[in-house]
Amino acid sequence: MEIHGSTVEFRNVKRTFGTVKALNDFSLTIKPGELVTLLGPSGCGKTTALRILAGIDKDHEGVVEIDGKDMSAVPANKRNIGMVFQAYSLFPNMTATENVAYGLRVRGVDSHKREARARELLELVGLNTQGDRRPTQLSGGQQQRVALARALAIEPSVLLLDEPLSALDAQVRAQLREEIRRIQSTIGISTLFVTHDQEEAMAISDRVGVMNKGVLEQIDEPGKLYNKPKTSFVAGFVGLTNYIPAVMETKSSVIVLNQVVDISDHSVDAKKGEEVRALVRPEELQVEKASEGAVVITKSFLGPITRLGIDAGTPELIYAEVTSKEAKKFDTGDNVKISIHSDSVMVEYA
Amino acid sequence: MKRELAWLDRVIFAFAAFFFIAPLIAAAEYSVRGYGNKGHTFANYSWIIHQLGFSAALWTSLRISIITILIVLVLVVPTVVYVHLGGHRYRRLLEIVCLLPIVIPVVSLAIGAQVAMPKNLQSTSYELCFFYVVVALPYVYRSLDIGLQSVALSTLVEASQSLGADWFKTLTMVIIPAIRSSTTGALFITFALSLGEYTLAVLLHFHTFPTWATNISQENIYGSIAISVTTLGGAWILLIFVAFLPRIKSLFARKERVA
Repeated sequence: MEIHGSTVEFRNVKRTFGTVKALNDFSLTIKPGELVTLLGPSGCGKTTALRILAGIDKDHEGVVEIDGKDMSAVPANKRNIGMVFQAYSLFPNMTATENVAYGLRVRGVDSHKREARARELLELVGLNTQGDRRPTQLSGGQQQRVALARALAIEPSVLLLDEPLSALDAQVRAQLREEIRRIQSTIGISTLFVTHDQEEAMAISDRVGVMNKGVLEQIDEPGKLYNKPKTSFVAGFVGLTNYIPAVMETKSSVIVLNQVVDISDHSVDAKKGEEVRALVRPEELQVEKASEGAVVITKSFLGPITRLGIDAGTPELIYAEVTSKEAKKFDTGDNVKISIHSDSVMVEYA
Repeated sequence: MKRELAWLDRVIFAFAAFFFIAPLIAAAEYSVRGYGNKGHTFANYSWIIHQLGFSAALWTSLRISIITILIVLVLVVPTVVYVHLGGHRYRRLLEIVCLLPIVIPVVSLAIGAQVAMPKNLQSTSYELCFFYVVVALPYVYRSLDIGLQSVALSTLVEASQSLGADWFKTLTMVIIPAIRSSTTGALFITFALSLGEYTLAVLLHFHTFPTWATNISQENIYGSIAISVTTLGGAWILLIFVAFLPRIKSLFARKERVA
């Protein structure tokens, strides 16, 4: 099974609910076959964008196009978009096979063809033996697989995934997200995925767009988004970030933790001597044993790495990550010296 | 604690079952008594069908009941679905409107509303259908309301529409089947009410099954009980048939697939 991926374009889309701007001049292009994730906290507008594309929310300004065709006047049931919802949305009166075949049934496809197609799709999501079961007889993960198969059965031009894994337990969630990615890249369908879980977003997306208060702050490949955040919100939202008090040394360097470090692009334009905050990732910090200075307050084992919470006299603990093997050297209460081993850091006004 | 509750459940269930079933059994037994309490016979049942006007009255009531059910399906079900989906601000109003028939005497309804009926409907038995819809509203609304509250309605509708279904298909293929027990309950109440309603029919001078049964029962008290038992039994058989029809259909479909 292969689907021709479509190009999706949002141009200057605005949506308000009363006085709240849910989407503010939102623009985004999804290339054919690409999986783009919108990531952000609750109420940032990511689901609103998805619902506008689905045609469920129509009270918006701006343009939404699929393959160059304006969707403004096209109702939800004519857009040929497959959607998987956050809540379990299987029709309770139908079996898994009937659910998958539903979209074809409303299109008037004959019963033999739609049953064969439903079987094919259930096999794709690994549920070929569960076709006769009703939603109440399926686990949460199985229900979402059926929902995915149902969305794909109509050969949609775009697939929309509205936090489909959020109601599942951690193990099933990790397994299903990999499966979603496998199926999506196998059939080559353009996909818009919405989540507030950054790990999920980073794991399966071609590009991740971080949203805040209705604005798309940055959209980039996962690695670039993590390593080169363009705003402090993105740096803070994607991964763990230390906000360490610092002083501008020159226009292009800063003194942080008694060390002079260059500042990266997208930093604020601060003057020499001005107090700022340096944004430093835990893995950019090096920790060494010392006889005095900073003190290890917390030690959290995270599998291959261990996170140390260090009191370096700053308002908040500074978190550093070391390999778990190396972490054996440190205990809570130990004195340590921390230094930055990064070419540059991002700074923002204090 | 759980075991105690289970016992309590059974006691309440047994009491409720006795409360409902005992009068029915008594009525059924009474309806097969011979004259002067001499033995048991089905003569009272054969007596019913040999009475003048039986089939005409029954047919009129059945016709009225079926049309009333159709009006409820076409008018009330989509309206209640609408207020659950997007018209939340009208929900309270609709609830009040639907409860009004409980406090409005049937006499006022008969006299007042009849004047408001279209001329070509007045004095035809079909006008009763509209009155029966109004009278059934409190029960129909409550039943549908509970059913719709128990499903994730907006998600189901959005899912159905994203798969290409229009409103009619969404309503008939997803919503109504999803609340099948509530819909069946609402339609059964409507059917039973339309088939057994007496006051409005008498006040408006229509000859329906209940008015015919009342007239005829003055001649034979055992026969009148037989009529009641038959009516109730018929309604129950219909309800069971409607409730189990989808399961029977899916069972046949499954057997066909296996074959």
